[in-house]
Amino acid sequence: MTERLETNVNQVSQSSRSPHYMAAEEVLPEIAEGKDSSSGKKEGEILPVDRRDFMRLFSLSAVAGAASCVRRPAEKAIAYVKQPIDQVPGVATHYASTCGSCPAGCGISVKTREGRPVKLEGNSEHPLNQGGLCALGQAEIQGLYHPERLQSPQFRDGDKWGDVTWDEALAKVIAGVKNAKKVGIFTGGATGHRHEFFEEVLKRLGSSEKELYTWEANSLYSSVSEAYRLSFGHADLPRMELSEAAFIVGVGTDFQVSGLSPVSHSKGFSQGRSVRRGRRNKFVQFESNLTLTGSTADERHVIPAGNESVVALLLVKALYENPASKGTQKFRSDVAATLQAQEAVLLNAYETIGVGRDVFDGIAQELIEKPSIVMAGSGANFDQNATLLQLAAIMANTLSGAFGKTIFFDEGWAKSPVRNGDLVRFEEAGKLDVLFVIDSDPLFSVPQSWKLGDLFSKIPLIVSIQSFPVETDRVAHVVLPGNHNLESWGDEQSIAGFWSMRQPAVRPTKNSRQAEDILLWVLASVEKNLPYQDYRAYLKKKWHAIYELIRPSIAYETFFKAVIRRGFTGKMSIRAANDVKDVQQHFRTLKAPSVGKFVLAAPLDHRLVEGRGAHLPILQEIGDALTSIAWDTWLAVNPHTAKKFGWQRNQLVSVTGPGGSVELAVYPLPGLHPDTVVIPRGNGHEDKRSTISYLNGVNPLTLVEKASDPLSGQPVTSVFPVEIKATGKWFRLAAMQKLVHDMEGRADIIKTMPMKEVLKKATHKRGLDDVPDLFPKLDEESKHRWGMSIDLDRCNGCGACMAACGIENNVPQAGREQILLGREMHWIRLDRYFRGDLNNPQVSVQPVMCQHCNHAPCEGVCPVYATTHDPEGLNAMTYNRCVGTRYCANACPYKVRRFNWWTHRWGEMGERLQDRNPRATNPDVTVRTKGVMEKCSFCLQRITDAKHNAKGQNREVRDGEVQTACQQTCPMNAIVFGNLKDPTSRVAQLRDDGRAYLMLGGAPEHDHFGLKTLPNVSYLAEVTLEEGTQEEHGHHG
Amino acid sequence: MFLRILVLSCFLSSSAYSWWGYTPGDSVDNSTQSLFGTGYHPKQPIDFNHRMHATDRKIPCEYCHSAARRSKTAGLPPLNTCMGCHKIVNTSAEPIKKMKEMFDNNEPIKWVKVHDLPDFVRFSHRVHVLAKDKDGKAVLECQSCHGQVQGMFTAEQWAPLQMGWCVDCHNNVKEPAKEGKPALTTAPVTCNTCHF
Repeated sequence: MTERLETNVNQVSQSSRSPHYMAAEEVLPEIAEGKDSSSGKKEGEILPVDRRDFMRLFSLSAVAGAASCVRRPAEKAIAYVKQPIDQVPGVATHYASTCGSCPAGCGISVKTREGRPVKLEGNSEHPLNQGGLCALGQAEIQGLYHPERLQSPQFRDGDKWGDVTWDEALAKVIAGVKNAKKVGIFTGGATGHRHEFFEEVLKRLGSSEKELYTWEANSLYSSVSEAYRLSFGHADLPRMELSEAAFIVGVGTDFQVSGLSPVSHSKGFSQGRSVRRGRRNKFVQFESNLTLTGSTADERHVIPAGNESVVALLLVKALYENPASKGTQKFRSDVAATLQAQEAVLLNAYETIGVGRDVFDGIAQELIEKPSIVMAGSGANFDQNATLLQLAAIMANTLSGAFGKTIFFDEGWAKSPVRNGDLVRFEEAGKLDVLFVIDSDPLFSVPQSWKLGDLFSKIPLIVSIQSFPVETDRVAHVVLPGNHNLESWGDEQSIAGFWSMRQPAVRPTKNSRQAEDILLWVLASVEKNLPYQDYRAYLKKKWHAIYELIRPSIAYETFFKAVIRRGFTGKMSIRAANDVKDVQQHFRTLKAPSVGKFVLAAPLDHRLVEGRGAHLPILQEIGDALTSIAWDTWLAVNPHTAKKFGWQRNQLVSVTGPGGSVELAVYPLPGLHPDTVVIPRGNGHEDKRSTISYLNGVNPLTLVEKASDPLSGQPVTSVFPVEIKATGKWFRLAAMQKLVHDMEGRADIIKTMPMKEVLKKATHKRGLDDVPDLFPKLDEESKHRWGMSIDLDRCNGCGACMAACGIENNVPQAGREQILLGREMHWIRLDRYFRGDLNNPQVSVQPVMCQHCNHAPCEGVCPVYATTHDPEGLNAMTYNRCVGTRYCANACPYKVRRFNWWTHRWGEMGERLQDRNPRATNPDVTVRTKGVMEKCSFCLQRITDAKHNAKGQNREVRDGEVQTACQQTCPMNAIVFGNLKDPTSRVAQLRDDGRAYLMLGGAPEHDHFGLKTLPNVSYLAEVTLEEGTQEEHGHHG
Repeated sequence: MFLRILVLSCFLSSSAYSWWGYTPGDSVDNSTQSLFGTGYHPKQPIDFNHRMHATDRKIPCEYCHSAARRSKTAGLPPLNTCMGCHKIVNTSAEPIKKMKEMFDNNEPIKWVKVHDLPDFVRFSHRVHVLAKDKDGKAVLECQSCHGQVQGMFTAEQWAPLQMGWCVDCHNNVKEPAKEGKPALTTAPVTCNTCHF
């Protein structure tokens, strides 16, 4: 038996050593962090607590301990004076509302307990996000309870700031507004009534509605809407139904995490990627930097940065030359003329880009044959040809016949949250007497080379109304605390005719007021009243028009209440289709991309965006999925480039661009173009508005010079030539996936499966649970065995699950220093693996949480029975029994157990600011303290709740009734949870799927069962189309 | 040197408990009467007479503790529940005057919690109130855990509320043995029933 087993092990390890690697250093050892890197380390390298600090803490806790020895103080039970009718203490109340983190306008359901929001979930009925929510949306809870939100209005006198009362602040504002001739409002993007309201306010103040300036750092809104305006005459966005597309071509797109509507596009993409239902889309991506979206591509072509528009034109050319392509005669001749005019550019393009003509022809053929879509550009990576890229994409989609099938512009088109060219208009606006800056941070998110600060300094009165202090407050004269999204009224119209309602889920937690109400108050004070008591009254009046449009058979009051209750309403808007206009003249502005030794791409970070998430510790802590770096900014370079120039990981280099220079550490990231270097945006706040983001990383916008896209007027943030010099210093990036060669060649950690094999192998020959061992049988009496299935073919590493888990389970943030010590606290982490060529690898992202092994190695080693197995398959963790030996963490082969080295505070440990706000924690989950082990519990509180609900109704728990936090929020529908004992449950069927495997479960088809831990979490192998693509295109990409 | 060691050892021993043992709310409070908290009878801001309300006036428990059937917590009555009767009934009594004043000032009463479980115990009233035997009869009454509150003046702790006491009961709720199979516990006794 033993002999046989050994042969098996040898066979398996020889025949299927894993082709994956975790970091570029495994392939190129030269670029690993050097031996001399210990010299010149930056501060914060070692534990931030010095010995004295340690003793102080120690003695402090001794005093606390002495007090606690006596008895815990008696707790008070405080009942309501008047209990609201819909509130039952201990039972959550959910309010439908609309997310305000970005202008996409996803529907949310705010879970409140005893009147305070504790968790956000996507509204599962909302047609846009269908229950999903991104990491940024999940983190809104931390924004709401953020201790650094302003407690009172502030008034600036020179460089000094002072707290004032609301009356004093408003008196100052009113004095300014009274004599003002020209008042302006500078605000973020919105699709609802907000901008209309601001225009009304401006007109009432005697200013013009043109003094409303809108600004979003995600430039995709501008470039796409401008391209559609030039092509079709309406400055709107198209509605994209990705679920209908069998073939998707991306040209520098990052639609899954920083596009027009990331969650809704992710949902659509994942619906089109359902292997089990026999439909799996194919996604081909052209990009210069490795994006999360690109990591899900089946075929990825690495192109030099700035050549996206050329690639799109080559695609148009290939489509045009294909006799089966569509379009009217006039349109086709326009396209021909455009291509003719750009012939010089396109002539040598195949060589520059490094992709052959046959590839484009193949793609064109497939685009025409299948329901397809071309997605182009990302707000993340914005160059001066961005609008031309969109124009080319419109041509491609017209030629392939995608309009009306996957893209809709005449039926339920999407609204643009911004007006194009506002930033240029603002520059040329001339003198403003008063400027209100509302929920926008232009001083940080517009490149510094635009010198907006100088423009602002000429305005005599700047009033900044922000839900959280921003860098622009620096130049403001009065700063007023505005309401957080969860405390505000509002609405969004993401799709024409489709309205999403925003209602406050809590009274203002700080001394704040809603921006619109402040404006109404100002108007009333200068005797220019608008006839609304507050913004809610305004909305209620405006919604009459929507009521007329929908014409429901109920009274208006009932309708309005119903909308607030449900969160959305709408009716499909249809308008006459326009012909595509001739746009060839605009291509005259096509500029050749910058040439330099290195070209900088400065994409929006998928968590922090342009910086709006930087003050939220949970977003800093979940890290970037591709590099696993948290709390820092890094310079991503191609590993071969790094080797060529002698750079190593964590080596500090200075990057000099046309606008300035920054110093930051190198991270060799496979999949980048050799000449492209990437610095993500979001960090680099030098103004101490928040201790979380203060001096954290660098801002790449300081490198860029002033340039704008001539068509949309948006500032160019990427594709600048930069110089890079090693400084000889080192800075250790807080990368969470830091172990190199840690896979030991095991092939049973991450698996891929070619499509052909998937089609052959519908189910397993033997079930995953059919493992020969000497363990006692699983409990047969129990009705449930909870299990989870994770589809690696869908996961793109967006990090929403990590954020949702952290908020749901009160997981603390440990901070950069603790992460460097390997002490991050995530219950769910994202492991990222590469396969193949360093220049263009296949990327797999794998979410790993406690696997809830039925034969758990951690349980046997616990000396105090703190971790035990429950009859429903859960690996239970009893915090109050735990004495902190950490044996279990050592025994766990999946490394998912987390030890509390501290009683964690708010923010990072290094700051030790203050205790966590108990109001911001989930009351259903114990808050762990120092010395206790913790890990994923499969959201036991939700399981218990569902069981109790079922018991109250005398029934069994239904399939799908229990949703874990990570599953609920997943924009890609990658996670399924349920009862494995019920053979009809989705999770049980997925465990029998041919793609299913257990992590570290060996290769059952070779009678090799790995560690035999028998986890209740199973993974579905990632599907590859490699063979197919080779046959079809003869291309090895 | 010796002195140093002495000081250090004193210091360490005094802090040993606090270093590893201090977790907020880790012991069941507390009474001067007995080790296990039975008979804990704190002074309340208003002397609420359970006996008079529940026995003399025959008001059911769940009239005031109305969340017990629906929620984890049984819930204390909001002041408007009290005022429902006391607008009319016995308005001249001293405690009721005090309560009316608080109600008018929108000021809640800060009751002292009598049945206080540690924060790491997740007890739900709902499942216990709704627990039924095979014939559909309720297994538990409020009195099973809270004692004869209808005979008390202000509430006092009747049961020890220690884990052993909970598990004792959970172990005794059994289906009888049948056809060679052992008797079954229908109330779960795994750790994560209450600790998560």
